[in-house]
Amino acid sequence: MLKREMKVNRKSFIIWTLILIGLFTIVYLVYPSIFNSANKKMIDDMMEMFPEELLKAFNMDIASLETAYGWLKTEGFVFVLLISGIYSGILGSQILTKEENDKTIEYLNSLPITRKDIILNKIQCGILYIIFMILCVSVFNFIGLSLSGDFDRKAYILLSITPIFSSTVIFSVSLFMSTFTHKTKKTISVSLGIVFVGYFFNIISEMGSSVAFLKYLSVFTLADIRNVIINEVINPMLIFITIVVALLFLTAAIMHYERKELV
Amino acid sequence: MDHPILEIQELTKYYGKHKGVENLSLQLYPGEVFGFIGPNGAGKSTTIRCIMNLINKTSGTILYNHKPLHKNDTVIKSSIGYLPSEIHLYDDLSVKEMLDYHESFYTHDLKQRRKELVKRFQLDEAKQIEDLSLGNLKKLGIILAFMHQPKLLILDEPTSGLDPIMQNVFYELLAEEKAKGNTILYSTHILSEVSKICDRIGIIKDGNLIKTETVTDLLNHNLTYVTVSSPQIDEIISELQLIDFTKSDQTMRFKNEMNHDKLIKKLAQYQVERLLIEEANPEDMFFHYYEQENENVKA
Repeated sequence: MLKREMKVNRKSFIIWTLILIGLFTIVYLVYPSIFNSANKKMIDDMMEMFPEELLKAFNMDIASLETAYGWLKTEGFVFVLLISGIYSGILGSQILTKEENDKTIEYLNSLPITRKDIILNKIQCGILYIIFMILCVSVFNFIGLSLSGDFDRKAYILLSITPIFSSTVIFSVSLFMSTFTHKTKKTISVSLGIVFVGYFFNIISEMGSSVAFLKYLSVFTLADIRNVIINEVINPMLIFITIVVALLFLTAAIMHYERKELV
Repeated sequence: MDHPILEIQELTKYYGKHKGVENLSLQLYPGEVFGFIGPNGAGKSTTIRCIMNLINKTSGTILYNHKPLHKNDTVIKSSIGYLPSEIHLYDDLSVKEMLDYHESFYTHDLKQRRKELVKRFQLDEAKQIEDLSLGNLKKLGIILAFMHQPKLLILDEPTSGLDPIMQNVFYELLAEEKAKGNTILYSTHILSEVSKICDRIGIIKDGNLIKTETVTDLLNHNLTYVTVSSPQIDEIISELQLIDFTKSDQTMRFKNEMNHDKLIKKLAQYQVERLLIEEANPEDMFFHYYEQENENVKA
């Protein structure tokens, strides 16, 4: 069953991965012409005009836009986080409910497999594709950065891993929500809401102490890019929280799916 | 009689306040074809979906070989074949891939049976599922339901979409399954099929099983349709105390439950020009029970 799941979801995986790779390809191609010595002063002047909070929100206070790696640390990883988050939300919303939406569940349910088998195969497939996507983009960027100049390999590898945390949690929450409906459309909009509101909260929370609490409401806090860039470590607590939250939602999804009316 | 292979005890299913089925009890025995008949919305599919664990029962028990039919009992599931009324399969697969996928879930070898059924239903394995006509999709559904040689077959409107030739192929297949001792729950609203293939029937109305009977007993009921032509037609109507009848000029037709000897003796008192007594078919019996039930409800 896992083989079939992988086949069914392969196309969307390829499309979303290509979107990210395409985006970075454009960046690697145009970066040298934009950020050259002639433009450097103009960019520096422009940066000085931004308030410190805003620069902090986009990690521009700790990384420079002068190099491709600098761009990746500031803006580039925002794309990875957002696009992998959107992909994970859509995947979690439809991977299970698609069978009900397309009414193939009547056939699938008649086979000698348990409901737990069904959902576990879907979870396995979803998490594998999220990891594959982040891995593909990471390898591509590694090659791109190597061709663009020197960069901190250790920090990059740690940075590449971070989207897995937020994406896994988004996938788990979306999957759990999907067990309450038969229609994929209903869950997709909520999942996308979690991604965009989460990202917005994450940005806002860096802008002042009065709104710092918002970071606890954002799934992207788990990615913790800022800490990885500054300290070159992944906070073990965030790994722990990711595992606990993901397991909690996945277990709840399995339990609810066991009792769900499938038609 | 053998012990039942499938036993439904006081099954009730409510969708919120709306009744699906209520207190439905039923036993299916090895080697029988049980016709589950009723109009759309009567509760046939709800019952089947409860058996298949697609929906949760409000109350009641369903036993398979005296064992509760649990949704995660894969051993029991492997001995049940299910054909839903509307078949939805994976459009991205070809017929061959679909059959391969189905095979992969079973531990025993299905190749020989698969080959035989595909040949019998003249299905082209190279075709994509999304390109199949309704009839061919039905054939594929039948092959999938029968391929793993189940002991219990649950078939919901199995012949809809099949051409008459394929219907006969299907009826032959049912007869073979029955001869093997396998049990078939045959849900239909095509009443002409019932006397052809079923041993027993259950009539369901508004979520209640109103009658369970063998087809032989059903047809042995003293229900006939009588047509009488007489110049004294009004006197005959009065004599027989008929309420429900159709009349044109000197001819009338009515549904008769009276003993035929008694009926003829009563008619003999009058001048009868023409008398026709017709045996009620299962379809007539079905409507008879339905009307009777309606009258009971009104009373």
